[in-house]
Amino acid sequence: MPFGERAVLVTFAERVDAGANARARALADAWERRVGPAVPAYASTLLHYDPLALPAASALRLARRLASRARARTVVRPTIEIPVRYGGPDLADVARLSNASVDEIVALHAGREYRVYFLGFMPGFAYLGDLDPRIVAPRLPSPRTRVAVGSVAVAGAQTAVYPFASPGGWRLIGTTDVALFDPARERPALLAEGDRVRFVPA
Amino acid sequence: MIEVLLPGARATIQDAGRVRGLRDGVPTAGPADRVAHATANALVGNDPGAAAIEIVGLPFVCRATRPLLVAAAGRDVRLVVRDTVPGWTCAFVRAGDEVRVEGRSRYAYLAIAGGIDVPAALGSRSSYPQASLGPAALAAGARVRTLTVPAEVARAGATAAAPDYAAVPRVVVGPHEDRVDARAFLAASFVVDERSDRMGVRLRGEPLPTRGGELVTAGMAEGAVQVPGGGEPIVLLADHQTTGGYPVVATVIAADLPLVAQREPGEEIRFAPISLRDAVAELQRVRYRVFAVRDARSD
Repeated sequence: MPFGERAVLVTFAERVDAGANARARALADAWERRVGPAVPAYASTLLHYDPLALPAASALRLARRLASRARARTVVRPTIEIPVRYGGPDLADVARLSNASVDEIVALHAGREYRVYFLGFMPGFAYLGDLDPRIVAPRLPSPRTRVAVGSVAVAGAQTAVYPFASPGGWRLIGTTDVALFDPARERPALLAEGDRVRFVPA
Repeated sequence: MIEVLLPGARATIQDAGRVRGLRDGVPTAGPADRVAHATANALVGNDPGAAAIEIVGLPFVCRATRPLLVAAAGRDVRLVVRDTVPGWTCAFVRAGDEVRVEGRSRYAYLAIAGGIDVPAALGSRSSYPQASLGPAALAAGARVRTLTVPAEVARAGATAAAPDYAAVPRVVVGPHEDRVDARAFLAASFVVDERSDRMGVRLRGEPLPTRGGELVTAGMAEGAVQVPGGGEPIVLLADHQTTGGYPVVATVIAADLPLVAQREPGEEIRFAPISLRDAVAELQRVRYRVFAVRDARSD
């Protein structure tokens, strides 16, 4: 559906869903090859176009056609290990909410491989899922005005690392020294869509 | 080259913006007022997307180290070289001349013939200091290199029309009008909040009721009118986040987004609907006007 006169939003599902996410990323790839920039998220893709080069009606038609063809591709992505010092300001609260010990939360968080659904919110911020459902971590009722760079956070079924200091409402359970975004690198973002990620207790 | 003597509250270099990092969460950046930026460039003969200086908090003063063509644009802006030159006008500057940009414009643009020569980051010369991408903000004493081009001296004195910044900005309704009542939004009047910045223009007013809570996070476009749970909308500008979780009741059309960006805190604002087809026609009109300025015969 139109998102202003220069973009189309295609929604595959109204929930966080690995299958819909894979289709959203496949559509973004197809759009970038044919038209221009695209931004996939959990289960949707925002498609940018220039309506003076591609008429709006054609853009909508093409979006529909490419969306119906968008299929998850099996691409082997590297596993990236991120060393973490567990012990953020919310770790004890998360343990309490989850009816578990701090050590159990650490073991659960570090005990599985995550996938990057997409990047957003700030440069290099990767939305990783899915958390073990035994970790109970609702967002903070009121966000912190400042989350430190390198904070490892959980919220709902997601986990992430803050590449920069910023306000944030996720619960903080650790810290890493790894640079999630470094403008001096050829590809500044450490993580990319589809990457597999493991947190390793440091 | 120019030497910055007084940078104003904040002066940054902006070209048309950066799309290469969108999938890595990197905002496009680029000018808050794309029409003024493109027109200032066109007036000096540049590509409309060339790198120019965006100034917040005038005055801005610099000195030319060689003869240059310059133009300033914005909502309320003028140049003082030896004489006063109105905004939206190309001026010739001699080597050693001081160039002063004055006025009350929230965002003002100074374009220099040839464009500003700084290394590109992720394919763009736009400054995004939050992630150390592109050039740093300009400080007093900074020297800014410009690409050397044959001086089309005959362009000096050329003018372009400014948008009517007091006009009512137009929006294409949606995409989430099922979650926020678009009629209530279009009937409402808002006041621009002082917490507005290059990420977005925050509006104060009677809260708009939203249904269904937050969205599953999705990509966001410039001009989107997001409605957070509190019901007070935010219009997204150049530094906006690439994704967001608040419903979007409408999207300000590209031709009119400068009218929103340039509103001062405390000013009133409301919005009018426009069809997708007419929005495209407005974009075409604005773009043709910019190209007509650039391609004007300069002899």
